[in-house]
Amino acid sequence: MDAFRIYAVGIVQGVGFRPYVKMLADSLGVRGYVKNLGGGEVEIFVEGERAREFVDVLRERRPRAIVLEELVVERAEPRGYAAFEILKSGEEARAPSNIPPDMAICDECLREVLKGGDERRRGYYFNSCSFCGPRFSVIRRLPYDRENTSWAAFPMCPRCREEYSTPSVGGLRRYFYQGISCKHDGPRVRLLEPSGRAVDAADPVLEAAELVSRGFIVAVKGVGGYHIFAKASDDSVVAELRRRKRRPSQPFAVMALDLETARRLVEVDESSAELLASPQRPIVLLPKRKDSPASPLVSPGLDREGIFLPYTALQYILLSNIDDRFAIATSGNVHGEPMCTTLKCVLERLRGVVDYVLDHDLEIVHRVDDSVVRFTNGVATFIRRSRGYAPAWIKMPRRLEKPVVAFGADLQTAGAVAFNDKAVLTQYIGDLDSFQALEDLDRELRWFADAYRLRDFLLVCDKNPAYNSVRLCREWGEELGAEARQVQHHHAHALAAAADGGVDEPFVAVAIDGVGYGEDGAAWGGEVLYVEGTRYVRERHLPYVPMPGGDLAALRPARMAAAYFHTALGEVPRGLALYLPGGEAELALVEKELKSPRAWTSSAGRFLDAVAAALGVAWERTYEGEPAIKLEAAARGGGGLQFHAEDQVELFAEAVEAARRGASVRDVAYGVQLRLGQILGAWACDAAAKRGVGVAAVSGGAAVNDIILRGIAEEASRCGLRLVQHRRVPPGDGGIALGQVYYATYL
Amino acid sequence: MEQVVRLAHGAGGVETSQILEELLFSRLEERLKRVEGGVGVDFPDDAAAIPIGGGRYLVITVDSYTVNPPFFPGGDIGVLAASGSINDVLMMGGKPIALLDAIVVEEGFPMDDLRRIVDSMTRVLRDEGVALIGGDFKVMPRGQLDKIVIATVGVGVAERLILDKPRPGDKIIVSGYLGDHGAVILARQMGIVEEGQGGGLASDVRPLTRLMLPLVEKYGEYIHAARDPTRGGLAMVLNDWAKASGTVIVVDEAAVPIRPQVAAYANMMGIDPLALASEGAAVLAVDPAVADEVLEFVRGLGFKDAAAVGEVRSSERYKGYVLLRTVVGGLRILEPPRGDLVPRIC
Ligand SMILES: [Fe+3]
Ligand SMILES: [Mg+2]
Ligand SMILES: [Zn+2]
Ligand SMILES: [Zn+2]
Repeated sequence: MDAFRIYAVGIVQGVGFRPYVKMLADSLGVRGYVKNLGGGEVEIFVEGERAREFVDVLRERRPRAIVLEELVVERAEPRGYAAFEILKSGEEARAPSNIPPDMAICDECLREVLKGGDERRRGYYFNSCSFCGPRFSVIRRLPYDRENTSWAAFPMCPRCREEYSTPSVGGLRRYFYQGISCKHDGPRVRLLEPSGRAVDAADPVLEAAELVSRGFIVAVKGVGGYHIFAKASDDSVVAELRRRKRRPSQPFAVMALDLETARRLVEVDESSAELLASPQRPIVLLPKRKDSPASPLVSPGLDREGIFLPYTALQYILLSNIDDRFAIATSGNVHGEPMCTTLKCVLERLRGVVDYVLDHDLEIVHRVDDSVVRFTNGVATFIRRSRGYAPAWIKMPRRLEKPVVAFGADLQTAGAVAFNDKAVLTQYIGDLDSFQALEDLDRELRWFADAYRLRDFLLVCDKNPAYNSVRLCREWGEELGAEARQVQHHHAHALAAAADGGVDEPFVAVAIDGVGYGEDGAAWGGEVLYVEGTRYVRERHLPYVPMPGGDLAALRPARMAAAYFHTALGEVPRGLALYLPGGEAELALVEKELKSPRAWTSSAGRFLDAVAAALGVAWERTYEGEPAIKLEAAARGGGGLQFHAEDQVELFAEAVEAARRGASVRDVAYGVQLRLGQILGAWACDAAAKRGVGVAAVSGGAAVNDIILRGIAEEASRCGLRLVQHRRVPPGDGGIALGQVYYATYL
Repeated sequence: MEQVVRLAHGAGGVETSQILEELLFSRLEERLKRVEGGVGVDFPDDAAAIPIGGGRYLVITVDSYTVNPPFFPGGDIGVLAASGSINDVLMMGGKPIALLDAIVVEEGFPMDDLRRIVDSMTRVLRDEGVALIGGDFKVMPRGQLDKIVIATVGVGVAERLILDKPRPGDKIIVSGYLGDHGAVILARQMGIVEEGQGGGLASDVRPLTRLMLPLVEKYGEYIHAARDPTRGGLAMVLNDWAKASGTVIVVDEAAVPIRPQVAAYANMMGIDPLALASEGAAVLAVDPAVADEVLEFVRGLGFKDAAAVGEVRSSERYKGYVLLRTVVGGLRILEPPRGDLVPRIC
């Protein structure tokens, strides 16, 4: 007879892991126990003829909601158990576990809704089970028990209670499921006018679908916030939505009923199909099809569309009743502000944006935005890590001596709390110049520190004196009397990549992004660093160019173009004035400043802005990274032009010259980005050789760029460096808190 | 990196507060920060106060003026030097009675220009009935000074001091358009407005006696703070106030009177118009009970563009924040202005 002792680590609480283990054991006739050790660890003991089979099944097949980071299996002596039991453990309460993220509706639940046998769940908009449904977004406090969640407002009907309390009735999916509900006791859906007045409709969801099909703009309450739904195939509707949202060109995400529908809009290969249909259901940026039925205004100037699949029964039913079977599903916010999570917010803020509101009464405790993923150099890379992923912790290769609270950066940011070898990044918080976003960061960090019962922690933040996250960090320090450390932005980026990739040795890093505050007061962003824990050496950086007007140069790419023309070619084309809101006068001002610059930058992002402007690809930045994103899009299908410049200033001159000779924008755009990658990659090789290290990590907001990454990867493979790309957190400032945490492991 | 004094240190923003705190205030014994019973560097305000018996105070302030160019649309350094110190006395609740000056000129400075400047200064004194009771005059060798520097000391008497302590509930009232002075000076310095022309811009420099004396007389006890938003503009004043009073101040972006041309130039220069200096405007924190009345009264005094722009709120968790309610309804954090350009847009 075989016996095994098994340790499982991962997302094992609140996702039906123990019931699953018990049912598996019972089905194989093995005996023993499963016990929650707390802290995200579970101990299993099995013995019996089919114990080996139990281990194999556990390793290979399990509900997708259960994420195992580690499965340690040890052979053991049989003890003669009579049955398989779920044991209670005191530890469970003491060491809080991985807080489960929100999961998309599972296949079984969807089947029940669409054609199930039980009338209580057929057509039920909130159907979910042990393996699916909202989690983090509804958890008020730990432990994850029904009374600590938004479900507390919905007392179970007798039949739900029976399923909940009786294993033979509830089965794997309903027994002890904290979010159990049905048509009779669950949340209600209503359709409202923006005034708050109820619209009389037999079925509010079908009515909303009809309204979207007819071109109305409808706010729809989802899992972590409200979406705005609108017909994506109609130019005039999309244009109207853009006008109302004051969002001239930032791409909208499109929700498609299923993979089949998605394939009409974008190219879906196997790995993207898997990602799209995963329980995390991120928005995935995929190449647009030429014959896509979506309006070009959905993502103007871009070669990719952000697509995702529905993740609640409500969304499924809504979409299957919209004529197109796909629709814009963008976050329900006003420009630059966090997405609404309450009806009050929708009625106040989105009054002028939406025509109707499809509301329900399951309270959203935590705002959780949709996650966004793209493919960079073949790797699925986060643009935004939020719903489905946060707040699952990230295991680091090193341990902390004391807990850490990290404040991230200021734009598109997330914070983190951390303890032992685990970093818990918050969900996507947003831009901290919005006070509400700052409050969210503050509140979520407190919530997590409290949830994990962290005390006596170290605070870590950026060095930028103008950051609101730094201000918040200082305020925490004063309030708690806690020590605060400041980590240089790109040092943190580099360490984030290392933690992400499990690197615990000295390495070189290519840190490329928009702006990080440099030790010399300049705006860094094209850096090759040698990193050894808390110490780093700035081995090489893109040569400084003036940044006329500071942040204004980021907002108006023509200013950066002027700076590059001035630096690279000694002349500033008069034509640039056309692309500055202040015209000639502003250009004159820029030129004056170029002669005695007030700010300098080595930013790769600002270089891409300049090239985008010089090539006429983008003249404004209405959303983060717009010029760079459009430059990448403009390079699609390009190639054939190899530049030889040794730095980005020379590269700019080379690009301008090529364009003037008549090379296509596509080829120049491609060549510039590839060469920039090659330059940085070659510098990384030099630095690695000099320092004798074998790993190069790539990080920073510009590290999502496919072409630059390809250039870096080429060079890295040429010189035999192992290239580490982000996989678990965004390369951009949404991942920087992980680096800040990792820094503290070296203290 | 060797530490040197940078221009940002003198720009009147965050860096100035920091350097003064570090160099001076933190090293000065508490008892030396004021005259017994008065107000000194221990409290950030427009002027100092010394008790002189009978509940009255002598109000004193000093400022040096180094505006480049010395002549600008709407005024010159002479008007500025006289008005500035008079206004600081007024904002403390004082009635200005006397001025002292110190003029330092560069060798070779045109005599006519100097005459014009001094005439401007004395014209203000005459109009306001303020005596010039002392001064100093020096010339520096060519190249050791940029044209001219004038320092003035303003002296006044106050029955009741306006110590800047805004209270939760107070309404923030401004006396008119903001940022006019800062916009024209900056535009001239950056060379986008030619000498002698304003490009539609003109400084608002003037003494605020006609505003403040009647206002203090009638509503003194209801005015919990008063400041002229010079360097750092409204943004600096409100951040100072929020910090000092541990409150949150919410400003309605759309309500702040900014001339379109000022907004346009500020936008072009990449500067928040709320951080631009005014030299002839007042910011008041007024008891809500009389705020409407005060606004009408101020308008009646000839300040017809006066406006209520925000309010002071109590806050448990967030103290010292100034928030700007944007036109779309969001709340932006209005930072205290900095002299350095510190890019943060990624
Ligand atoms: Fe960054
Ligand atoms: Mg005052
Ligand atoms: Zn399910
Ligand atoms: Zn039920």
